Amino acid sequence: MKLVASCKISNQGVFLNSKLVPNTKSTETNWKKELYTKTGVTYPKFYKMDALAKLAFLSYSYLDKALKTESYADNDIALLFANAASSKTTDLKYIESYKEKGSPSPSLFVYTLPNILTGELSILNKWYGENVFFIEEKFDPEFYLEQINFYFSKGAKGVLAGWVESNDTNEECFLFFVENNGNELTIEELTNLYKS
Amino acid sequence: MGRKTTLEDNLMSIFITYGALITPLGNTTVENFNRMLKGDSGVSIIKDSGFNNEDWPLGMIKSIQDENRYNKLLSDLCHQLIKEHGKGLFEDEKTLVVVSSTKADINALPNDTFASTRKILNDQLGLKNKIIIISNACISGVLAINTAVDYLHTDKYDNVVVIGIDALSDFIVYGFQSLFALSNEPSKPFDKERKGICIGEAAGCVIVSKKRLNDSYAVNYLGGSSSNDANHISGPSRTGEGLFRSINKTLERSKVGKAEIDFISAHGTGTNYNDEMESIAFDRLGLNEVPLNSLKGYFGHTLGAAGVIEVISSMKMMEHNIVLKSIGFEEQGTSKRINVLKANLEQPTNIILKTASGFGGGNASLILKSVL
Repeated sequence: MKLVASCKISNQGVFLNSKLVPNTKSTETNWKKELYTKTGVTYPKFYKMDALAKLAFLSYSYLDKALKTESYADNDIALLFANAASSKTTDLKYIESYKEKGSPSPSLFVYTLPNILTGELSILNKWYGENVFFIEEKFDPEFYLEQINFYFSKGAKGVLAGWVESNDTNEECFLFFVENNGNELTIEELTNLYKS
Repeated sequence: MGRKTTLEDNLMSIFITYGALITPLGNTTVENFNRMLKGDSGVSIIKDSGFNNEDWPLGMIKSIQDENRYNKLLSDLCHQLIKEHGKGLFEDEKTLVVVSSTKADINALPNDTFASTRKILNDQLGLKNKIIIISNACISGVLAINTAVDYLHTDKYDNVVVIGIDALSDFIVYGFQSLFALSNEPSKPFDKERKGICIGEAAGCVIVSKKRLNDSYAVNYLGGSSSNDANHISGPSRTGEGLFRSINKTLERSKVGKAEIDFISAHGTGTNYNDEMESIAFDRLGLNEVPLNSLKGYFGHTLGAAGVIEVISSMKMMEHNIVLKSIGFEEQGTSKRINVLKANLEQPTNIILKTASGFGGGNASLILKSVL
């Protein structure tokens, strides 16, 4: 499998293929909204998204510039996502809506599933491929490489893989796109990309 | 890393056998099926279960009194697994566990809601490998079985224990209530008068293996897949696109023709839009005549458990060559006509299609064949 591109975002900035994109580091608590305006992308749905979906959308907006996904058929790109905290940030907000704010919020409830972000990315790109969301204790490169090989063995041509986390102390999204040809991506390389 | 899979691996036989089953209808696979044969439903009115103290019909396991329903349910499932299969299978280095759950121990918040899953399974089953957890809304159970098969195509594992589990919580009931998706009477999937979902709780387990485990009934897994609707995060596609594509892919991978399918275990939640979407997808595939049911009327919609417990129930139907009726269905209520069963149907049931659809636009399916 060949790595096509990777992108990691947090309030420390956007790292596209491990290189910091200028002016993307932020000290704002609202750094995702700030970053959205910097992407230059117009996608009003962004404002309705929860933290996980926003992180995935923003990271993908940068990654997309380094991809040529138009050459793929709409069934051929599979999505492989994982995190540790599931939809914790939104779960807590939703609980607050019925415990403290009077009634359960339907708009928060629909985001209390981590895989909603794979739906958002599929809608954005009109991708009908395979999707899965795993709960893992930490980013495990070996796990990703194994799962990607499963997808390739079943006929996927490209895999968009991601680790998207939103909890009390950390907000980050690491995305990478791989193709089913070329040199093997190694565990070490993937570990280093994630750490960038 | 496991080695890359080859064509030969993909043609390898995969067996599925019964693990364990705890639902509102009973505490073993046999007990559940005996009650299903009689047409019993595990859905009952639960006082004050709604946000404004409404009495919603829910699939509640009455024997669970503990405050922490999820942990108790998972622990009970482990007891049943050890009782029926011994500990050796779980302690084996070539056994992997894949769990399907949407919310797990949601009451643990703000702490890790999946921590108890790992702890209970490791403590009680003595597992040697990292537990794989899938949380992908209502298609999680079918995805978990598909994932189990992926792992068996490597040389790392001989058996994969797939557990599907979700418990009732205010979190879930209030959420579906806020979406106006709950039915105030037992749900009626695919019926003209259907009003929505009845939430349920359950834990089920199947053992997916490279070799037939024992003398008990087994099916072969022929193929499976998933596909996203790319349409809406909480509303089903109006054309059934994702489900249509997933079933097509699964048929292709299974090398099974449409005419060979004896029975469809559909998702059938009982909401207007979902059931309509499924009928459209089945119609587009020309599967209108295939006997079909939704098992949500028996257990309620058990979310992350649904795919697994419905596969177990379908295996029982294959074993006994009978397709169970779709409880709550009386009159065709979808724009496309499909063959939803009003009465149990005795017929040879060798090849079945299981489907699931869920929030996030996910659709998944798999095909099983009876081992004669």
